[in-house]
Amino acid sequence: MAKKKKKAGEINSSSMADIAFLLLIFFLVTTTMDVDTGMKRTLPKWIDTTEQQNDVDVNERNVLKVNVSRSGMIMVGTDEYTSADLRRGARHSRLSQEVYNFLTMPDRSVKEPKEIGTTKCDVSKGLVSLKADDETKYKVYLQVQDELTHAFNLYRDDISMQVYGKKYDELDEIQGTALRKAVPMSISEAEPNDQTKK
Amino acid sequence: MAVMAKKGKKEVPALSTSSLPDIIFMLLFFFMAATTMRETEPMVTVSMPEAHEITELDKKNLVNIWMGKPLNAAKGEDALKIQLNDQTGDVEDIQNFIAASAVTKKMDVGAMVVNLRVDEGATVGKLTAVKQELRKADALNISYAAKATN
Repeated sequence: MAKKKKKAGEINSSSMADIAFLLLIFFLVTTTMDVDTGMKRTLPKWIDTTEQQNDVDVNERNVLKVNVSRSGMIMVGTDEYTSADLRRGARHSRLSQEVYNFLTMPDRSVKEPKEIGTTKCDVSKGLVSLKADDETKYKVYLQVQDELTHAFNLYRDDISMQVYGKKYDELDEIQGTALRKAVPMSISEAEPNDQTKK
Repeated sequence: MAVMAKKGKKEVPALSTSSLPDIIFMLLFFFMAATTMRETEPMVTVSMPEAHEITELDKKNLVNIWMGKPLNAAKGEDALKIQLNDQTGDVEDIQNFIAASAVTKKMDVGAMVVNLRVDEGATVGKLTAVKQELRKADALNISYAAKATN
């Protein structure tokens, strides 16, 4: 009779580790830890060709024309650049230096006063017009885009230093948005029909 | 002295493994939390270009468009294919795809960021065709997918 009150036997948990191991290996294998990274751009709105196209009136002086040929040669205005000019030095590549100069130097592009937060600051109206041949390799195209972005980011750093006293990527969200609005990434990616006009 | 000699021969106790499951569980939970399942099978191979000026993209409003060589391409064939989610498509399908993605992701096309995962060997002409379709679909926020330069 005493046997009836016997305690239920304990479950053997020695295989717990094995089960956990199995699950662990499954998740180890299926895990992908990659984060998506990329270069953000905003496309211009689609305008129907049947409608009259009213081009945004931009002073020629404030436009820096960058052309990429199918062989990967780059023309900025009338100057020739090769792929070697895309390689970064300590701060700049030759191409980003040129774009940066275009944005910062007072005789290259017109400055206009803009309000950032509560302070006013002169910001360049400069616009980079990027054109590429249809046969240009995407790799070269993106490298050029990279250097253009670099120049604009350095310019944003400068303005940010003037206004907030810290670098652009150290700004908080509100400050960052205000700065992005005042100093837009003015890179115009030409439409394909523009390319037929030589 | 005899007693001392006996003590010196004492065996090393066996290593306790009772905390092993706990350690394994800890690792397990870490990987469970960190895991994101691959949503789409790649059907094209894309060797991503490198760039310095890249930012991290928010996965929530991201829509991916792949452009690269198809996996089952015959040798010598190097035509580029576009992959939209889990099917290969043409440039003409992009507008429908964007509209469908907006519905499934329950968000506005204007808030969407289209991540262009383009093979570095692709031509700009192909890319421009895709961009024009995106403009027609009113998906104006794009990103050129690139990995960080080492």
